[in-house]
Amino acid sequence: MVFWVKLGVVISFLYAAAFLGYLLWRNFSFGHRLYYAHSRGDEKKGIFYALGPGLLPWTKESASRHLGVYLTGIAYHTGIGAGFAFLGISLLGFDLGHLGRLLFQVFLGGGLISGLGLLLRRIIQKSLRFISCGDDYGANLVVDLFLALALGHLFGWISEILFFVSSIVLLIYLPWGKIRHCLFFFASRVFFGRFFGRRGVLPRQSPQPVFSGERR
Amino acid sequence: MNQLGIKSEESSAFEFDQEKINQALDFFRSKLDSELVTAFSTCVHCGLCAETCHYYLVGREPRSTPAYKLSLVKKLFQRATSSRENGQEVLSRAEIEELVDVIFGRCSLCGRCFLNCTMGINITRAIRVARGMLAYLGLVPDGLASTVQTAVAKGNNMGIAKEDWLETVEWLEEELRAELNDPEVRLPVDEKGARVLYTINPREAMFFPMSITAAGKIFYAAGEKWTFSSENFDVTNYGLYSGEDDIAGELSARLIRAKEQLGCEEIILAECGHGYNSNRWEVFDWLRQQQSHPVRSILELIVEYIQKGKIKLDPSRNSEPVTLHDPCNLVRLGGLIEEQRYILQRAVADFREMSPNREKNFCCGGGGGQLAMTRFAERRLKVGQIKADQIRQTKATIVATPCHNCIDQLMELNKHYQLKVKIKTITELVAEALVFD
Repeated sequence: MVFWVKLGVVISFLYAAAFLGYLLWRNFSFGHRLYYAHSRGDEKKGIFYALGPGLLPWTKESASRHLGVYLTGIAYHTGIGAGFAFLGISLLGFDLGHLGRLLFQVFLGGGLISGLGLLLRRIIQKSLRFISCGDDYGANLVVDLFLALALGHLFGWISEILFFVSSIVLLIYLPWGKIRHCLFFFASRVFFGRFFGRRGVLPRQSPQPVFSGERR
Repeated sequence: MNQLGIKSEESSAFEFDQEKINQALDFFRSKLDSELVTAFSTCVHCGLCAETCHYYLVGREPRSTPAYKLSLVKKLFQRATSSRENGQEVLSRAEIEELVDVIFGRCSLCGRCFLNCTMGINITRAIRVARGMLAYLGLVPDGLASTVQTAVAKGNNMGIAKEDWLETVEWLEEELRAELNDPEVRLPVDEKGARVLYTINPREAMFFPMSITAAGKIFYAAGEKWTFSSENFDVTNYGLYSGEDDIAGELSARLIRAKEQLGCEEIILAECGHGYNSNRWEVFDWLRQQQSHPVRSILELIVEYIQKGKIKLDPSRNSEPVTLHDPCNLVRLGGLIEEQRYILQRAVADFREMSPNREKNFCCGGGGGQLAMTRFAERRLKVGQIKADQIRQTKATIVATPCHNCIDQLMELNKHYQLKVKIKTITELVAEALVFD
């Protein structure tokens, strides 16, 4: 039984990866935005900024004004990352050891609490409720269930089969809804960095302007 | 007024021909690229963008949330890319009215949500593409549509006739000669072989002629070889705001043609935020043409004059406290961030920054064609409260801004919120600080 469920997880993973690959291909089939004007800044620096320092909370007002939500999001995503790592470890049957189990308990527990907190925020806040759709609640619940069962399995409260089944549900759901941002987030940040990098807005340049203005 | 409490002249007059809407969706689809489609796959509705938008901040209305605006455009994407049967209703009247009100009436295309989006989604561009689809259906709000049409038909957005333009220049030339006490001073028009083609916002000719003489005075001091065009002098491009790429491309292409006809080396753009974004950046994408000539703002040229010692400034001539409003299209979307500061630090005695500033600055509320769309005027003044508060906090008596659109909005805010400030361009302050040896 365990073997077949494990096989199900692997197949679900391959399905999710293939589906995401298809979505990426479909998006790119619309063609890339071409830029024809001379660059004023540096596109590569812009992309590096967007994927690095530009992710820090003080660089974005949306994050700095809502530091609690930002940190909750970080904890949630760290928890999800730990969940997938734990899934891999469980599939391969490795032993985590005492310290490893403790670390995973912290990350998975933190992730679960954060996920539920973000769900509660979505339910309570009027403006957030207004922009939310079924997928916003569904995706959160599927992920929370995955984290909860991972934690339950780690504590030995539930069988690993249940945890694997929740993983299959998550992997099947993944490409259909907002969880697909796990891939498109990076593409979006690259586009962001390219735009602001070219235009010389980000990363912030020297305060001393140069009269030649343009760079080819 | 409709059930949403908005006037909708266009949508009530609009014939709901589903075939035409289908064509509009095909048109919308033709404008998509991987960046836009990725935007629709990336938004997680975290809602953190809400408070980066001045529309949301003043009214706390969920319909002003950038994520909501993007969700409306995403719906267009979903309909444009799904199979549509003949005769099937693809967009209802209520949906069209909501689109017009939100996409045109609740966004100034300032890019603040884009800059602050945790995902980095270019919401501004998505909204502009949706505007283009509404334009395809003839649903651009009246004032904005007529401004674009006037520019297309008359060569400038104010409909100034060539003779009137030439008369204005002649009159301003006389004024400048008297001021500088030099009969040789010129405001040249159609001067072949001039190094610089200088463009203006037609509002300068109609309402703010002093900013034209200010530029002329700076060129005179620097010994510049420059010229106006008698036909194509309009730096503005409201096609940027209506979302009509073809029209926007043609309007900006006119300046390029004028430069080529006069044999100038470069186009220098007057102080105009969206004019800078259009003519420095977007035009080459609209025309799908590699940039082959320099296009700069007059701010960059003034910096060059200062650094090369071509002009000298005495900041004590501008002794009042001055603050700076950063136009979104010039700064956040244009990349001209430090030039205006470099100039003001040398042209005025007491320069005070607003907070936040530079690329993080708030829109004044006048961008995105809002000044032209009179139906949204009340909302425009309301969202300007953030800017009014920013200005008050500096305790400055002069607000400088390198954008005539912003100037119009700031003048209205000055009156509405009783700010008791003077609004000036950077060029005017530089002209006042000029020292002639």
